[in-house]
Amino acid sequence: MTGGVASPAGRGRHRRVPEHHRRALLTHVLVLAAAFALFGVDRTLGWAATVLNVVFLLFFFRHLAFAVSAARWAERDLDAPVVGIETYTPSIAVLVACKDEELVVDGMVAAMLDLSYPPSALTVVVVDDASTDGTGAKLDAWHAANPRLRVLHRPPGAGGGKSGALNDALALVEAEIAVIFDADHQPEPSVLRRLVRHFRDPRVGAVMGRCVVRNGVESNLASTIFIDYLSGYLVNEYGRQALFELPAYGGANCAVRTDLIRALGGWNPHTVTEDTDLTLRLLLDGYRVRYDSTAVDFEEAVLSNSRFWRQRYRWARGHQKCLRDYWRPVVVSPHLSLMEKLETVLFLWVYHVPVLCGLGLILIALRAFGIGGASLLQMISLSALLFAGPFTELAVGLVLGRVSRKAVWMLVGFIPAFGMSILTATKAYLDGMWGTTYSWSKTARSGATSAPVQAPVMEAA
Amino acid sequence: MTLVARRLDHALHDRAARRLVAGGTARRRHLVLIEIALAVLGCVGGYLLWIDGARHLEVRICEQIILALGVDRISAALGDSFLVFGPGFEPVVAQMTGSCSILSSVLALAALAVIVLRERSQVIAGFAVAAVFVLAANQVRLLLSLLAGRYFAVDALVFFHDWIGAVINFAYTLIGLLIMIGMTMYDAQRAEQDHTGRHTADRPEAWARPGLGHRVPLDSDDAPKAPKVQVAAFLHRKVLPRALSARLARRRERTRVDYRVGHENAARRAAIVRDLAGKGLGVHTATLLAVATHETDTGVLDALADVVAARQWEPIASADVIALRLWARAWLMRAPAATGPAPTGPAPTGRLIAVTGAGGPAGVAVIQALRKAGDEVLALDANPDGAGLRLAAHAAVLPRADQPGYADSLLAVLAEHRPSALVCTVAEEYRALTPLTARLDEMGVRTWLPDPAAAETCLDKVAFATALHAAGVPHPATAWTAGTAGLVPGPWVVKPARGRGSRDVVLVDEPADLPHAFFTVPGAIVQTRLDGREFTADALVARDGRMLACVPRWRDETRGGISVRGTTFASPAVTEVVAATLRAVGHSGPANVQGFVGPAGEVTIVEVNPRFSGGLPLTLAAGADVVGTYVAGILDPAADLPPLEFRPGLRMARYFSEIFYTSADELVGAAR
Repeated sequence: MTGGVASPAGRGRHRRVPEHHRRALLTHVLVLAAAFALFGVDRTLGWAATVLNVVFLLFFFRHLAFAVSAARWAERDLDAPVVGIETYTPSIAVLVACKDEELVVDGMVAAMLDLSYPPSALTVVVVDDASTDGTGAKLDAWHAANPRLRVLHRPPGAGGGKSGALNDALALVEAEIAVIFDADHQPEPSVLRRLVRHFRDPRVGAVMGRCVVRNGVESNLASTIFIDYLSGYLVNEYGRQALFELPAYGGANCAVRTDLIRALGGWNPHTVTEDTDLTLRLLLDGYRVRYDSTAVDFEEAVLSNSRFWRQRYRWARGHQKCLRDYWRPVVVSPHLSLMEKLETVLFLWVYHVPVLCGLGLILIALRAFGIGGASLLQMISLSALLFAGPFTELAVGLVLGRVSRKAVWMLVGFIPAFGMSILTATKAYLDGMWGTTYSWSKTARSGATSAPVQAPVMEAA
Repeated sequence: MTLVARRLDHALHDRAARRLVAGGTARRRHLVLIEIALAVLGCVGGYLLWIDGARHLEVRICEQIILALGVDRISAALGDSFLVFGPGFEPVVAQMTGSCSILSSVLALAALAVIVLRERSQVIAGFAVAAVFVLAANQVRLLLSLLAGRYFAVDALVFFHDWIGAVINFAYTLIGLLIMIGMTMYDAQRAEQDHTGRHTADRPEAWARPGLGHRVPLDSDDAPKAPKVQVAAFLHRKVLPRALSARLARRRERTRVDYRVGHENAARRAAIVRDLAGKGLGVHTATLLAVATHETDTGVLDALADVVAARQWEPIASADVIALRLWARAWLMRAPAATGPAPTGPAPTGRLIAVTGAGGPAGVAVIQALRKAGDEVLALDANPDGAGLRLAAHAAVLPRADQPGYADSLLAVLAEHRPSALVCTVAEEYRALTPLTARLDEMGVRTWLPDPAAAETCLDKVAFATALHAAGVPHPATAWTAGTAGLVPGPWVVKPARGRGSRDVVLVDEPADLPHAFFTVPGAIVQTRLDGREFTADALVARDGRMLACVPRWRDETRGGISVRGTTFASPAVTEVVAATLRAVGHSGPANVQGFVGPAGEVTIVEVNPRFSGGLPLTLAAGADVVGTYVAGILDPAADLPPLEFRPGLRMARYFSEIFYTSADELVGAAR
């Protein structure tokens, strides 16, 4: 049980991308300056505002469509009977990467050992990614008490972050399906059976489950994130599947065919959002991602604004990089229809939209001071995108989640959150274009709502 | 190939080639796009149609408010504009434009209500309240703008309307949206999770919609409470005609899932399913469908399929009944399961009974008695190695009752297993259990706990002695202070005022040793040591105070306070004194009363344990089913419990028995 397994990363066809896009950034500035010179500042800003408004309306109607589809069908999906989950049991390897997770690792391992699946078809591998706290010792104690839990210790400097750890774990297993969880996750026992049932369809390359925040009671921010997840999974992800069959693989509580992930060269260690990256690679290879809103696991939300900022910055940075890496292959892909290409590009654009919202607000402010021509659509589209769209999604999430009425006032907390998303996405965009160095940033845990499971104590040798 | 088959092939090929029929995803997309397009058209069309009327209406309302306030120099005579005279009587016409009106906000809210939230009828009230709020807030905005123009300057009117008013406009539209969303959401009683994501609906785990709330024990403050005013209940009881109310109730029952069924054990679920379906498949259809959807026990599914198959004569009341029949068809067509020999043992009652103190002799005796009666048992104990934990179908380890976390752990375990009743065999747990009875009731876990004061009197030997002396029940002379200890006639027994199992009991023969013993034993009391033959009487007292059973036995031999050899006997005198003792302390439920029968036949009571005894197997073997009768009394508090007879002269000789289990808690060998 020692680490040091060579990472398969790099053997596959991860796209090599330039480390910065300063030339493109400069081009944007030059085009704007040229437009000012040719058409004048007011006309240019007026047209820019009009273009922005069209983009905003497009995204608003996209959000609205997801909300309508979820409101119409998602509730019945949650109640629907599952079919054949007792009889279809391909071999599964559950992979969990842990780095300094001693606060949550006991609850996670206990949940893994409680998963309902034939033991002969299930392998659980937990990777201790050079933890400096008691994570490794705790995992060893669990292994001693439950030999079916396998523990892989990676040495310091093994590299690759979460992707590297998962790739090392993947090299150890021979299962047909790999199911990934994060260290703070505690899945419901039925989650494996619910996830793998979709692999009956050979076109399905990966399946995403639903993550639910379990520590909303710890802070108002966590409670707000709980509602955000409800909307994100029960409405947004659901809508993408219902209307386009294009849900995203999310990185945790998700399953992927091991032969596919091996053929693709493993998880991409050069991105901080390996999940979105894998989604795109699967789609471009002609496979489908499915989403199962009934395959549920519980996870921790961050508790402080600074951690929230870091997490969302990472998501924005990685997602924006995926747009830069994949928009061209998506446009020319033979495996996607025109409508699917449009939706995939819009999905990739999601973390650029807050940047555009920031630009829209600047244009409105300039207009208030008499700078810039009037837009054809004025600020109604920005309001719709910033507030009506998200609030509609949140409302449907709250109703589908049957959350008590008191939660409605938590929605007010989303207004500053929208503001923060503009700032995080803008900073991520500028850093990404400028090529600022960035690597995986681990999310800190609280551990307060981990199940009170006592880890087995390892006897001294 | 036949002509029909060729035509079918041709049609299928033609459809696939020309894509005449869109796929499911495309159809869903078209449907949603059409809805959104209609909503946009509705908003635009409604705006064009009604904007003039809305402007005039809002001007008229504002005019009435201004008149009511008695403000002069503001006129709405123009119909769709205000004529305002500023501080210097300079006139300005403030036109009520389309963007000043609430119509666009109201239309947007209406569109969202119709296309997004229409599945919940509560959205109608939510929209109405939101619209009224938006109207009122816009009137405030208009009024403040006009007053700014009237009292400050015309520029103030423009500034207020265009900038501050725009902020107000944004705020009230947003608040209106939140009002509509809030009123469309579920109240705390019907919600399944609270705003922090904790599960609050007490749904059985197998039946709950996945992921609706993290299951953690809730504080009593966090548990959803019934609203003070229950409008629907008031309407049904006081307003609606009885026939209409009953009709609505029947309709509601058809579509309401009774989640309580899911908390019961398998045998009980099967019985309930037969009952529900027996009333007609169209009566409790939603509950029956929920069983077909979520149930995994083949016995329950067999029961449902059988009853559906037996009711095929019924006219089809709804599409859900068709779904039930389809499910039953598939279920009954599945490969038959291998048939084996009929299981031996008692017929299962379908009940799950929780027993605390499963590691103690009383707990073990109760568990074995319940199993013998066909009950399933959930064994609970603080000691992970308690033998009773391995004798029951289900087991859980809890903290001790005097440790923090006991209540939460107990509630969590009971919420998971949903036993029908809880039998407590540890008297010291009563104090912790009594405050939980309401929560247990809500879970459907029934209890029968003695009056806390009575239990306390039994556990506190000073209070016990006081109560018995006051009631005139024979009890040895007792002192609990150093000053009075010497007044008690010897020989003596010195023991803790609160203790169990003969722990710290010291026998004293010499007066000189008495002070040392008194100060050595913690919280000591001193009693005269009785002469004669020691007995224990297992008793059961009904809730109304009637003594249902009194089974005395000689304590021929005891080890560690537990009777290991005994003989039942009949004695009216003992029975009478035992009854008087239990009356004196006010106890109901199981108890064991210990005392002595003196050389002259006089009966003296030493102590009462308000619980089953460790020697319970002898009482049960003698024919007095105190456990079964007690459980019947728990499950039906109004039951008229019968008096229990027993066979005197039955002897008991106890021996050790053992079970074997691995470190992973798997039973090994014969115990398996």
